[in-house]
Amino acid sequence: MNCPMESHDPEMLVAYAAGQLDQEAVAAFEEHLSGCPECSATAADQMAVWQALDVWETPSVSPDFNRRLYHRIETEMRLSWWERLTRPFHPLVLRRILPLTATAALLLMAGLILERPAAVAPATKGAEAVRAEQVERTLEDLELLRQFSAARPGNNEHRDAM
Amino acid sequence: MGPRVNKDMGVVAAALDYDAELMLRVKDGDGASFALLLEKHRAPVIHFVYRLVQEQAVAEELAQEVFLRVYRSRSSYEPTAKFTTWLFRIATHLALNWLRDEKHERMQERLDDGPPDFPAREVSDRRPSVEDQLMYQARLAEVRRAVAGLPEKQRAAVLMHKYEEMDYVQIAKVLGCSESAVKSLLFRAYETLRARLAHMGRI
Amino acid sequence: MRSVLLQFGFAAVLAAGACSLSGAQQPAEQPPAGQPAVEQRLNAVLDRWNKMSPEERERELAKLPPERARRIRLLLHRYNLMNPQEQQALRQRYRTFSELPQAEKETVRQRLREFRQLPRERQVTVHAEVDELRRLPDAQRQARYESAEFRGRYSPQERQIIKDLTEYLEPEK
Repeated sequence: MNCPMESHDPEMLVAYAAGQLDQEAVAAFEEHLSGCPECSATAADQMAVWQALDVWETPSVSPDFNRRLYHRIETEMRLSWWERLTRPFHPLVLRRILPLTATAALLLMAGLILERPAAVAPATKGAEAVRAEQVERTLEDLELLRQFSAARPGNNEHRDAM
Repeated sequence: MGPRVNKDMGVVAAALDYDAELMLRVKDGDGASFALLLEKHRAPVIHFVYRLVQEQAVAEELAQEVFLRVYRSRSSYEPTAKFTTWLFRIATHLALNWLRDEKHERMQERLDDGPPDFPAREVSDRRPSVEDQLMYQARLAEVRRAVAGLPEKQRAAVLMHKYEEMDYVQIAKVLGCSESAVKSLLFRAYETLRARLAHMGRI
Repeated sequence: MRSVLLQFGFAAVLAAGACSLSGAQQPAEQPPAGQPAVEQRLNAVLDRWNKMSPEERERELAKLPPERARRIRLLLHRYNLMNPQEQQALRQRYRTFSELPQAEKETVRQRLREFRQLPRERQVTVHAEVDELRRLPDAQRQARYESAEFRGRYSPQERQIIKDLTEYLEPEK
């Protein structure tokens, strides 16, 4: 067989170290290894790397991952209803959502016209409202300060930059 | 809902790829199929992105974006590629963009502190000693540094190859390069990793 | 009619909230006794953001480009992951910072951004120097700024970072 190191083809070496070769291929490769010190050493190292990488487990996924995702999807769908309604052709919307959305929109508009002071369009609940830009500015400042503090000698605080 | 009429190659691909079939159902408004896809691919996507960006909170945010984009694209979805190829292409694109952001340039340096996201781990069936834990954490930190030190495409290729068990053809499709380019990427990546990690020997 | 009045009241409360965030404290937002006003304002921004419903937050975030919205989520996630002591310490630092006049605040922001770009080992050295200088009386601090050792040890940019952060930021405990 061709020497994988000479041909710069890692496939055989990697597959061997990963235990992915069938018996026949293993036999052929091991025969090559017995006469090729370079491949033999590299294969041993590759096996060590393969096993070292096994150490790296991953943290478990947050339990509310799906909830957050579905929430974002729902929010996005709500936000873009007008755009989706006004698209030239959208079978799903036309077939399933349009009648409902149109009814809801009509009711909503009727409610707004009858009930709402013209100048006010609150996006959030009264005194609780905070604009995204305010939060962004505050968080950016906090992050700058946090990064500075994290460089304090002896500080073990995680200092990832975001 | 029944399968679509076999009019193009995409449909043939979908017939061979159950995920693509599910995605076609999502396209037709079937939310349960999206839930199935999410359940099946959530962990692999998060884990892949986590190993690329090496921060759990970031990985989850990016993974949310991945699935959001999948959902957004449902109406224009055509099964021209394997579903997981498409999914990992989105994930790789988002994660590499995040890494390229100038604010995250010094990824390598910040690993020196030791990562905050060590998974809880039982070394064996016995209760791990403090020494076991320390040794495990030191090895893990070394592995993470070695992987983070790889150029980004090599890093993505190794992670898909090692942890997602993708073959060269699929990795090539995810990265948008030729199969020979993937071989070359992996050859160089494993060469670097051998130089940095082989001394760890059997774990 | 009753609901019109209610909505009008609601709008008034909203306007009051917006004013308080831009500086003037409304009676309803007076800080509790013993809590500094600025810290209360920080509480107001972040805590109130956290108290908003997920729908409201997403609606707000949707007004920004996706990249900025994602960054906010990440920073918020990181902030919320801090333990109460870490949050308290950070709030304390923020308090001093936010009490600075606007021009000085901008200077500090700029220096902190420059600091972030320094190599890690220089960050540690610069931070240690800032800590050291803060402990010195004014005269000694000035003498240190003028010393050949100080000039030899730090680049002009680092010297500016050190000086400004020493002068403007509160010592860390």
